Amino acid sequence: MDTKPYIQDSAAGEFFSRLAEGKFQTTRCRACGETHYPPRVLCPRCLGEDLEWVDLPREGTLLAFTWQEAAIRCIKPDVLGLVELEGVGNIFTRIDAPYESLRIGQRVSFSPWTSPDGLALHQFRPVD
Amino acid sequence: MNEVYIAGVSMADVGWHELDAHELGARVCVEALRDARLLPRDIEGIASTPHGYMAESRKFASQRMADYLGITADFMMDVDSGGNSSTAAVHAAYERVRAGRIRSCLVFAAQREVPKKVIQQDVFSYFHLIMSANSLYDSYQAAYGVISPLPFYAMAVQRYMHECGVEPEDVARVAVLLREHALRHPQAAYKEPITLEKVLSSPQVSPPIHRLESSEMHDGAAAVVLVSGEMLRESERAARVASVAESHDPTSFHPYRGEISRFPCVERAAEAALAESGYRVGDVDVAEVYGAFAGLELMMYEELGFFARGEAPAAVKEGRTTHGGEVLLNPSGGRLSLGHPAYVTPLLEITEVVRQLRGEAGERQRPGASIGLVHTEQGFINGSVVMVLDRQAP
Repeated sequence: MDTKPYIQDSAAGEFFSRLAEGKFQTTRCRACGETHYPPRVLCPRCLGEDLEWVDLPREGTLLAFTWQEAAIRCIKPDVLGLVELEGVGNIFTRIDAPYESLRIGQRVSFSPWTSPDGLALHQFRPVD
Repeated sequence: MNEVYIAGVSMADVGWHELDAHELGARVCVEALRDARLLPRDIEGIASTPHGYMAESRKFASQRMADYLGITADFMMDVDSGGNSSTAAVHAAYERVRAGRIRSCLVFAAQREVPKKVIQQDVFSYFHLIMSANSLYDSYQAAYGVISPLPFYAMAVQRYMHECGVEPEDVARVAVLLREHALRHPQAAYKEPITLEKVLSSPQVSPPIHRLESSEMHDGAAAVVLVSGEMLRESERAARVASVAESHDPTSFHPYRGEISRFPCVERAAEAALAESGYRVGDVDVAEVYGAFAGLELMMYEELGFFARGEAPAAVKEGRTTHGGEVLLNPSGGRLSLGHPAYVTPLLEITEVVRQLRGEAGERQRPGASIGLVHTEQGFINGSVVMVLDRQAP
């Protein structure tokens, strides 16, 4: 039985497998040096296929946040956010802090998170 | 190139329907043909969309309708590109008629969803539909249980309010105004007035979005008939399609790069459509805009060029977007208060603008409306179609 129905392609499978090992990584093209997020199996910039997995920045800026009323995973209501990782892009993630305590533009850092149904995912929490 | 006209329009009441989607579609097709004073044998093309997002959707809607009505076609197309589906179909039909490949085309959409209440009572039986709808979101979004675009729209509205100094009352006021518009529309899903206090005290579905600032999926059906000049039976009732343009960003739902509160595809599509039509945005008398949430509605007004960035809230407050204002925006009630059968919505928008240009919009009529604009979008406003219509008869 497929316990991770959200995994739609092989790069996503690899991303979440690495995350379960504590590695927060994405792909980079060895030919042109472009870092992709989300990870890919080929490089859309130079069309190369020789990619390597590299560490993502573990600190970023909180661009926006909300909570969702209903979800098929996560506890309710769960705070979700968009974090800008410099040089990479905007990552959609869980935010480990009460909604009311957050503000746009604050620094946040990566931490691993295990969902109530046992999935290894990422979250970010405010940097003190 | 031939001029292209919309000769016939029809819509079913927006709400919840018992009739089979195919039969609901047949009803509006027949009404649109009557409106155009044409018969199925006069129609040379047909295009449609799926019957819903959370529906046991039968495929080949156009083919089944061609069979039902007896249409021999030289153009047939089913389009599934989310909220743009039926405008994308109209765009394709427009190009065929303009190029002289066909002289007439029927475009219709009929949506019948499995009601949310039914799904909630028996989630297990409908799990395949939930998973199918969930596939709209990529792995990195779906991993967090996202099953609606709400969190993305909520974050876009939050940033817009943050960047432009927009207050909660500014957003709620849009919902109140759209409801006032819908009360003049006998086919709208919502019949009760709402107040600013009621909107702001309605539950937050995903902050800062309140329930009454959020559009709800409905059933509905609509059809439009596009023709070349030689097929026009009543030229004084025809609306000319002055231009159609579409533009798409390299994104699917939230942008992994770029700003979450800007939608460049909307501005590009609007600029291209207006340039081709020869009109300026200030010439537009009436427009139907695809705003799925009150905050997004304000952002769309700005991206389309009706107002500068951050200035739509004041325009709404000052009455510049309603009856008697400089441009009448969403006289139908918009997505929030006309109701929102997404596959059908673009045809509802075209129907409203055509009725306005004909002077057949009843209590909602903008006197003398002669230039209209229709805007639609798909996904998280990842792509947009803009049409400009006018009253120029052949």
